[in-house]
Amino acid sequence: MSILQYNGGAVVVMTGKKCVAIASDLRFGVQQQTLTTDFPKVYELSPKCFVGLTGLVSDTQTLWNTLKFRVNMYKLRENREMKPSVCANLLSTMLYEKRFGPWFVEPVVCGLEGPDDEPFISAMDLIGAPLLAKDCVLAGTCTESLYGMCESLYKPDMSPDELFETVSQALLASNNRDAFSGWGAIVHIITPEKVITKELKSRQD
Amino acid sequence: MARRYDSRTTIFSPEGRLHQVEYAMKAINHAGVCIGILATDGIVLAAEKKNVSQLLEPGRQSEKMYKIDDHVAVAVAGITADANILVNRSRLIAQRHYFTYQEPITVEALVQEICDVKQGYTQYGGLRPFGVSFLYAGWDKYHGFQLYQSDPSGNFGGWKATAIGANDQAATSILKTDYSTDISVEKAIDLCVKVLSKTMDSTNLSSEKLELATLTKSADDKLVLTVLTRRQVDDRLKQVAPENKEEGSTSAASVPATNTTS
Repeated sequence: MSILQYNGGAVVVMTGKKCVAIASDLRFGVQQQTLTTDFPKVYELSPKCFVGLTGLVSDTQTLWNTLKFRVNMYKLRENREMKPSVCANLLSTMLYEKRFGPWFVEPVVCGLEGPDDEPFISAMDLIGAPLLAKDCVLAGTCTESLYGMCESLYKPDMSPDELFETVSQALLASNNRDAFSGWGAIVHIITPEKVITKELKSRQD
Repeated sequence: MARRYDSRTTIFSPEGRLHQVEYAMKAINHAGVCIGILATDGIVLAAEKKNVSQLLEPGRQSEKMYKIDDHVAVAVAGITADANILVNRSRLIAQRHYFTYQEPITVEALVQEICDVKQGYTQYGGLRPFGVSFLYAGWDKYHGFQLYQSDPSGNFGGWKATAIGANDQAATSILKTDYSTDISVEKAIDLCVKVLSKTMDSTNLSSEKLELATLTKSADDKLVLTVLTRRQVDDRLKQVAPENKEEGSTSAASVPATNTTS
């Protein structure tokens, strides 16, 4: 089996009207054994910039710590928050630095940037090849079914509430059929004013 | 006599002195004064800005105060360019520690590491020492609020109240009489303003030349580093002004600073 499926997990990101949603499952396991059910894969860099990290958990945790280091230094030197698009480029560079011994991580980046709080989303493979999409990006062990769900459920310019429903349905339907992800989900809706966080109950298997 | 022994930093003079280190400390006496006061509920840092030309582009970060991490800030006296190097170094040190231990570096550990860097330049390499003294204001969960001072030799100490830069002896003597261990942050700000008005060489104390910052804990127990706005500084100056008019200034004339030192 692939090393990227060793721990399992899934993350999905969708854009709405002046908002983005990022959601992940809560399972942490070692192959077929589930170890905990409170392990989100979404990390916050700032109230308007979130990162989702799927893959080998050992690498996602270390990569997150390294990313935090770099972003903290940036904040101190530049005296401002790092924009999501800049963060995506940073991640891409960091991943490619390990081109021949890569981090087994497939990240997604999302947030709102600029004075108009334009939604920004991006995903990349484990060596940093970026994907700039307008509608949704996803990563994890059930990407095929997530793509199908997003393709059929997504429509542009959704409000935060509609977005929440759509993201939740897409994630839950995919997680429920995937052995390696699920055991609940966490959803963050990022709007210019605040971040709304909700936990979902799913099939507990 | 001393001249023969002071062109190399890494050797002693016959009297057992390191001249370059002493000269570095002299460089700091031309810099704008910085004051630090440890209060019961936080720390106050105050600094006199020397670079206040009207032609200077505003919006750039402070030349006197820098944030090192969420829980530590420093005030600088000395050669700004040297200070920038050390500030960047200390930021990296703090992040490296956090990366390894997943908890913020203790204030003393950070001060120790920077001082070790400074000391290295007095013992090997043949490079001149850094012409900077720092006041470090920080908080950690082991020792609470702490104030430290370091100098070009790499020596450091923990203080309740101290000053570095021009007229620092005058400032510390006033602090010695007026400081008390149960002082609050609010009263400490007033004390800083009072001390600065007596030791700064300008007769007109304005918010343009003065920078004030506090490190305190908010109501929900979060650490907050606040740099006072010019408006807030002006208000403070107005409060303390009547007293100053009576007592007058006691600062001695000092060598005008060049742009390298601030």
